[in-house]
Amino acid sequence: MPATEYQGSFLGRISIRRNQVIAMDGNHEQELEDLELFQKHVADRFGELLAQPSDEIPNDPLLSIAWLRKLLDMFLCCEAEFKAVLIMGRDPSQISKPPLDRLLPEFLDRVVKALDICNAVSIGVDLVRHYQKLAEIVVSAMEQRPLGDGQVRRAKKALTSLVAAMTLEDGSNTKSTERTWSFGRRGSGAVANKDRAAAQFRSLSSTMAKNWSASKQIHAMSSNLVAPRGNESSGLALPVYIMSNIMVFVMWALVAAIPCQERNGLMTHFQVPRQLAWAQSMIGLQEKISEEWKKKEKKGCAGLLEEMQRLEKLGQSLIEFTDSFQFPIEAERLEEVKVQVDELAETCKKMEEGLVPLQLQIREVFHRVVRSRTEVLDVLDQAGKVSAPSM
Amino acid sequence: MESPENTGLEFETAEKIILRWDSTAYEDGRDRMIFEGDRQEVDRYLQAVDEIQRAMSSTSISDDQNKVNSAIQVAMARLEDEFRNILITHTNPIETDSLTDPSSSVHSTSSGTGGADFEDDTNGEEEEEEDSSMSKDGKLRRNISGVSSVSSSYRSTSSIREIDLISSDAIFDLKSIAERMISSGYLRECIQVYGSVRKSAVDTSFRRLGIEKLSIGDIQRLGWAQLEAKIRRWIRAAKVCIRILFASEKKLCEQIFDGVGTAIDDACFMETVKGPAIQLFNFAEAISISRRSPEKLFKILDLHDALMDLIPDIDSVFECKSSESIRIQAAEILSRLAEAARGILSEFENAVLREPSKVPVPGGTIHPLTRYVMNYISLISDYKQILIELIVSKPSSGSRYSGDPSTPDMDFAELEGKTPLAIHMIWIIVILQFNLEGKSKLYKDASLPHLFIMNNVHYIVQKVKGSPELREMIGDDYLKKLTGKLRQAATSYQRATWVRVLYCLRDEGLHVSGAFSSGVSKSALRERFKAFNAMFEEVHRTQATWLVPDSQLREELRISISEKLIPAYRSFLGRFRSHIESGKHPENYIKFSVEDLETLVLDFFEGYPVSHHLRRRSDS
Repeated sequence: MPATEYQGSFLGRISIRRNQVIAMDGNHEQELEDLELFQKHVADRFGELLAQPSDEIPNDPLLSIAWLRKLLDMFLCCEAEFKAVLIMGRDPSQISKPPLDRLLPEFLDRVVKALDICNAVSIGVDLVRHYQKLAEIVVSAMEQRPLGDGQVRRAKKALTSLVAAMTLEDGSNTKSTERTWSFGRRGSGAVANKDRAAAQFRSLSSTMAKNWSASKQIHAMSSNLVAPRGNESSGLALPVYIMSNIMVFVMWALVAAIPCQERNGLMTHFQVPRQLAWAQSMIGLQEKISEEWKKKEKKGCAGLLEEMQRLEKLGQSLIEFTDSFQFPIEAERLEEVKVQVDELAETCKKMEEGLVPLQLQIREVFHRVVRSRTEVLDVLDQAGKVSAPSM
Repeated sequence: MESPENTGLEFETAEKIILRWDSTAYEDGRDRMIFEGDRQEVDRYLQAVDEIQRAMSSTSISDDQNKVNSAIQVAMARLEDEFRNILITHTNPIETDSLTDPSSSVHSTSSGTGGADFEDDTNGEEEEEEDSSMSKDGKLRRNISGVSSVSSSYRSTSSIREIDLISSDAIFDLKSIAERMISSGYLRECIQVYGSVRKSAVDTSFRRLGIEKLSIGDIQRLGWAQLEAKIRRWIRAAKVCIRILFASEKKLCEQIFDGVGTAIDDACFMETVKGPAIQLFNFAEAISISRRSPEKLFKILDLHDALMDLIPDIDSVFECKSSESIRIQAAEILSRLAEAARGILSEFENAVLREPSKVPVPGGTIHPLTRYVMNYISLISDYKQILIELIVSKPSSGSRYSGDPSTPDMDFAELEGKTPLAIHMIWIIVILQFNLEGKSKLYKDASLPHLFIMNNVHYIVQKVKGSPELREMIGDDYLKKLTGKLRQAATSYQRATWVRVLYCLRDEGLHVSGAFSSGVSKSALRERFKAFNAMFEEVHRTQATWLVPDSQLREELRISISEKLIPAYRSFLGRFRSHIESGKHPENYIKFSVEDLETLVLDFFEGYPVSHHLRRRSDS
């Protein structure tokens, strides 16, 4: 269990202090090497994520559940390496000198925002599961044979809810969910369906704080991110910069993919200097995702998650089908529809298998980031920024 | 075996009833709800549904199957609406007004029939929990009516208490609908509709309990005093949430869905409470990861204690597999809170050791650091029950032969058999003294450091003696060491101040022994008197401004001064005054009578400057 593992490092923290000062010359070489390696690993990992699926290497499509899980895995690896480079075996006083004395608190501030985003995205995954369940109704109805009016109407009802929910703008915030009270009477018309979906969405999304905005958080996280220059660029300022960028990117990708509170105006432009080697693939990914986001934002989308996009596309198409359905159905049309329903079923299966593990992973990221933050805070405190007891 | 015609007829009748109540059709089927109306109507409808379901299995002709399926869908859609309607009209948020913050302006908006009030046995708000906070002057304010164990004065929230949220009639109806929906394969729709209505109800109750939605960022930014209030509220609300709100929802799910399918009640339950549960725990989690500083210790312990108390109920309410994540999160938060407590204690010790104030406290009195630390550890001893479980390792930064001059040495081997918490307490006193020693060196006067140490160690001893818990942890052995230190400081003070004063009153050097007369050197004697007067005046003037706050210690000190000074002076005067009085201007040399000195000693350590003009009461 991640949090209970941490018990050990209470003593570990002290041992950092006890374990000597590393002589600069002896280990300076080692340090530079570690930094190089860190950058290389970052570049490699992002390269993998960017790679296009091909026949030889079947890769997961961009922003699919599997891709996101890989992204989070990769984040954990980078994070572990970052911590090793920054903290392990290091004399605390090295970490509290300029420019780190300014950069580290900024980093920690980003970390707190990232934690909130993790929570918001986790709630969003529950919303996606809700869509999945609606889609499963559709599948269950449309797989019946013979396919009759009843099943098609049933599917249509679910489809309408699904599509309505997914095309809602997610900025709507904490309108009282009392609206659901009035739904008893008005039956199951399309309007009522949409309202129901809206209310459900609002009540799910209103678990975050009232004025909390994912897009604002991301913006704040990246606003003071400046590449280190001059001789700063070879010291510890660099890994802090790199890790900050990674964190911002990962959070941003999650927010773009999964519906969460208030994503209007999600930024699409990043300021990572193009010439940095480690950043190439990441920049490539940013551009791709930004493009998609811009396209979808116009239509008001619930998120770029690949499986959700598929749900949306199939949903629209199947609604059309249901509108024009006549019993009995010709074999040819049935075949056509079957293909789509199968694809829908396949997508649901991926969601069924992947969403809960995704949530667990987000939780793992949360734990890890909390632990690192505590360790950094401890080291900073040791370095002499002890606050005297309030007197 | 029914004849085909009869079956057909029954089906037709049934179908007619179903179609009559089609929600989407433009008939009065839309405006009335079946289950709100005539009971016979309800029975007829349900029978019709059953009939259609039976027909499902018996038809094989495709056309008929289509008709049957179509009818089923209409029925299910209708039942879904009925289900929703029953849930809504029979749902009332739990009346939680008696437990909300009286200053909040939320008022109840219950509607419908069948109110589900829960009796609150307490009268008003009983503040049973500690309200300990550190104010600016380093004193701890305590508004306690009891010791740390959070008592179960809220009888309504000390254990699980489920409430019937919906009347049993309504439950019966809901059950009959659910059974039919599920047996027709409309399970998902059933769960959806149940979840959406119940979730709203839980959300409303939740808001009433005053649990705010705060992000981790918000919580980091809030001042601790504000957070303390929120934590208190959270603890109260969490008990209600878990033991009453969630438990009752679980019971409701069981009442409606038990026996209707596998784990459907679990699915409905999670659908309903997952969001609110996460929101509830997110607050506690945010507190557990907030930056550590000493004043947070006690509220964090309160939170830990409350959560620990709740864990068995959390495990029981969230026992199903699909709510594992919630159980896990609760356990994680508990662990983090423990970690935070340990970290804060360690922080505190470091802070005490390194407290850097360099301005010597005037008059050598008790240093604010001493007050702060001793009050802090007194409060810790009140929390002994909890902390003794949490603090499991010895302080790490002190050990003999560490060779580090900036930390004191302490041999932990001497403290064999003591709990880690007790060792920490002793260690804190050790480092407090260590810090105070450093501060004592800031005084220019040679005697004041000793007085300073005396004052502060005495305060430490008093505080330890004043708290049975603390005394028990510190142990009489160490207490003896402290009092020994006190005595040592007193001796050092005596030496530093009075040795040279009393030196003036010594015998040697005054007698001139010659072959023919043994007399007293008048000039030497005069010098002695002058020296004594000057020194005493100096000491008196200075040390009157010094402060010994504890009246008993002050008395004892003065008495010990008098014990040495007065007899010596009396004897000196007695032996030698005649020599001075037989000479010129005796008043220049004998300035003080014995009574004068006795009176002047009373000025010592009052903390007030005295006028230079000294009363002369002595008779020449």
